[in-house]
Amino acid sequence: MATTSTDWPDRYYDIDQILEKPGPRTDPDFLAGDGVKEFLRTKAKILVIGAGGLGCEILANLALTGFKDIHVIDMDTIDISNLNRQFLFRPKDVGRPKAIVAAEFIMNRVPGVQVTPYYGKIQDKGDDYYLQFNLVICGLDSVEARRWMSATLVNLVDPENPESLKPLIDGGTEGFRGQARVILPTITSCYECSLDMLNKPTAFPICTIANTPRQPEHCIEWASVLEWPRIHGPDKKLDNDDPEHITWLYNLASARAKEFNIEGVTWSLTQGVVKNIIPAIASTNAIIAASCCNEAFKIATSSAAFLNNYFMLIGTDGVYSYTFEHEKRDDCPVCGGSSLDLPISSEMTVEQLIELLIERQDVQIKKPSLSSDSTQIYLQAPPDLEAATRPNLTKKVQDLVAAGGEITVTSRSLPFSLSLRISYT
Amino acid sequence: MSTDSAQVQPDNKTRRYDRQLRLWAASGQTALENARLLVISGSATSTSILKNLVLPGVGHFTILDSTPVTARDAGNNFFLEGTSSIGKSRAQEAVRLLLELNDGVEGQADTSNLEHILDSNPSYFSAFTLVIAHNLEPKLLERLSALLWADDTLPMLVVVTSAGFLGEFYIQFHEHPIIESHSENTPSLRIDKAFPALQEYASSLDFANMDPTEHGHITYVVILVRALADWKAAHDGKPPQTYEEKKLFKEGLQSMKVKFDEENFDEAEAQAYRCWTETKVPSDISALFQDPQLGTLSSTSPPFFHLLDALRKFSLEPPHTLPLTSSLPDMKANTTNYIELQKLYKARAEEEKEKFKSLLSHPVDDALIDSFVKNAHGLKVLRGKQYGTLDKDPAALASAILASPKAGATHLALSALARVSSSSPTEEELTAAAQALLPPGTELPEEFENAVGEIARSPTADLPNTAAFLGGLVAQEVIKMITKQYVPIESYCVIDLVETWTGII
Ligand SMILES: [Zn+2]
Repeated sequence: MATTSTDWPDRYYDIDQILEKPGPRTDPDFLAGDGVKEFLRTKAKILVIGAGGLGCEILANLALTGFKDIHVIDMDTIDISNLNRQFLFRPKDVGRPKAIVAAEFIMNRVPGVQVTPYYGKIQDKGDDYYLQFNLVICGLDSVEARRWMSATLVNLVDPENPESLKPLIDGGTEGFRGQARVILPTITSCYECSLDMLNKPTAFPICTIANTPRQPEHCIEWASVLEWPRIHGPDKKLDNDDPEHITWLYNLASARAKEFNIEGVTWSLTQGVVKNIIPAIASTNAIIAASCCNEAFKIATSSAAFLNNYFMLIGTDGVYSYTFEHEKRDDCPVCGGSSLDLPISSEMTVEQLIELLIERQDVQIKKPSLSSDSTQIYLQAPPDLEAATRPNLTKKVQDLVAAGGEITVTSRSLPFSLSLRISYT
Repeated sequence: MSTDSAQVQPDNKTRRYDRQLRLWAASGQTALENARLLVISGSATSTSILKNLVLPGVGHFTILDSTPVTARDAGNNFFLEGTSSIGKSRAQEAVRLLLELNDGVEGQADTSNLEHILDSNPSYFSAFTLVIAHNLEPKLLERLSALLWADDTLPMLVVVTSAGFLGEFYIQFHEHPIIESHSENTPSLRIDKAFPALQEYASSLDFANMDPTEHGHITYVVILVRALADWKAAHDGKPPQTYEEKKLFKEGLQSMKVKFDEENFDEAEAQAYRCWTETKVPSDISALFQDPQLGTLSSTSPPFFHLLDALRKFSLEPPHTLPLTSSLPDMKANTTNYIELQKLYKARAEEEKEKFKSLLSHPVDDALIDSFVKNAHGLKVLRGKQYGTLDKDPAALASAILASPKAGATHLALSALARVSSSSPTEEELTAAAQALLPPGTELPEEFENAVGEIARSPTADLPNTAAFLGGLVAQEVIKMITKQYVPIESYCVIDLVETWTGII
């Protein structure tokens, strides 16, 4: 039987219209009827990454569509600014872990659904943990965490074991815009393949901040990047979430702006610049989360073909969307299997190469360590190896790596290493 | 620091709404808080829409629904409490649970019957800003849309239809002028028509004998104004026109450098097109000057049209542009030069605003004038049609379908569903109903088969994911209508969640 003890007659009257017969575009392998209902309602196990703006919506949709075994990971606690969209949270929940509150809420509201929260980082969990799920949905705002998740699921794929391939559905929003995509690790384009589609983060040159401020943002960056460490020393770190810290920066930035006749420094702008705040609203999250969950439902039931593979929405001027197949990148460091060709000047030093890697839109790496087959070129840690390899920073790359040679780039923030094939121009 | 932090830190309400205030600011928030919504039915789609409007703080909502919660409602609607809600009023249960989302919102359940209200109390609707109806019975929908259309002081109507993976929605409104469209176009810096103070400033600089550090910090605006003036002086007062001349002009900019790494001159070269692209009133703005409202302007006309008329008059006089705005993009410069330039732009923008104000034939609030002038390059006026107009015009419907076959076919299938009486119609019945909407003999697009098959599969399914998807899209549009910011849709928005696309017909 496709019902569990908590299901009541007609509970799934609407969804069952879909599960009891195929549509014109449904794959012929779809087995309409009790089998698919039973799989969805008693066997499917799904992981949700993030219990924030997208996560709250995702959990509610999954629960209503009949997924009964849902796990959720989130490392954050609830802030008052979450309440305009993260609808499973109330003012009394501020300060509590998102994953736990969200799980409690869903289990209370939707009978018979088990939501297992984990309050912590995705990096805390190993391959065995991720292998237990049929599907993973990611609703995160952190690029780093999404790269980690995508790379981890690509690495999990064992060609001998089809069960090791876990579809990853990834959603993201910004203001009235968003995107949802389906990643079949190693088969379709992964998160890393599309890294160059991200907007470049605004960066202000240090000399502008220090000497020639023109915009309110320049004054704010001056206060946070230069003045905070200068005045507080290396031990007191700036806490973006502490309103007193923001106020301190705001006061300093305002004074500087006044000195230079610059208008427009406000508390809200200060917070926005320092925290790199991205506008977020419930409605956009609802669209993207619905799209993610709809793909999960279609994958889990085969009741309709799933998205191949990218849906992009812009809601600022009418409703504009674009559905397309994002191509896998042959030189993707995660799923491409070959190295990235990097022609560089024969004069380039190791230090300059590191800067180049940090700036490149399709690489985006923080604090990379570099090594070749034979040499540790530069290692960021541990301190003794860093000290030992530091003299290489000023050497030319050419003196350490022959033309056509490979450099392996690693970083603590990434679960994979990047291979560069170096040539000289 | 001596400043009392409690004075500058935002209050709880501002903190709660921070992430949305960055999109529509306090003005949009006020509009939202003054809005009163009526939502007809407490279906899963209706509550999904409402959730996204209660969270950002809409002022008031009423759910009008006379039916009790059924077993299937309790299964697919997040704003019902499972079996414990079954048998209770669907409006009351949904309102109770939606209100938990935001203390600042007022909500009311109305268990009256819509047909009864239409018969005996049509003024009921005038208390609302906007009415949303989901899967409303076609006869009642027709009456409701006709009633609301007949008087343009009555609320806008958003009609939402869904069946399984397919759905669509339409906004019925008469006229929707937008000042803050958040256009991605930037206003002109008017380098080609430099105002006198800017021209004077650029001419006063002695580029040749300047301190080299200072030379590297002149703004590209000033460099271009100067270089253009020099060029015109040598070319009968004409800007560079041919490809060769433009190339020569750019080379001239490069040769002004005293050091090879002066980025301000590189910026000037990159922006040189501004010298030969004439600043005019953009064509979509001058098209607004033909608006019928301007022909019948009176003291009761909306302020927007008084402002638009003043803009038209402003553009008739030299330099035949929109009023200058004081917002200057960031550019390579030292603080002094940048701020100096900014002051020149501000002073001129202020003068032009005064000029603009003098052209107003009717007093308008200063804040509105500021906003209008600042956003003049992105103004829009949308004009809508009564709901159902397209489906009543077979030829127009056929050509709309031809223009966008996927969205068109899906819309046609949904319209057909509304016209069959059976709750489980066959594909044949639906196809016949669709055919009846088109001119005799019209061939249905091949996409129709996919759409109609999907509708026959799940004609009454209010799927949670489709409800949530529509809930988000409709709420986005409602927010745009209420705040009069950004640009809403002007016709049907159609969705297909089998292939995951949205389309407009
Ligand atoms: Zn890849």
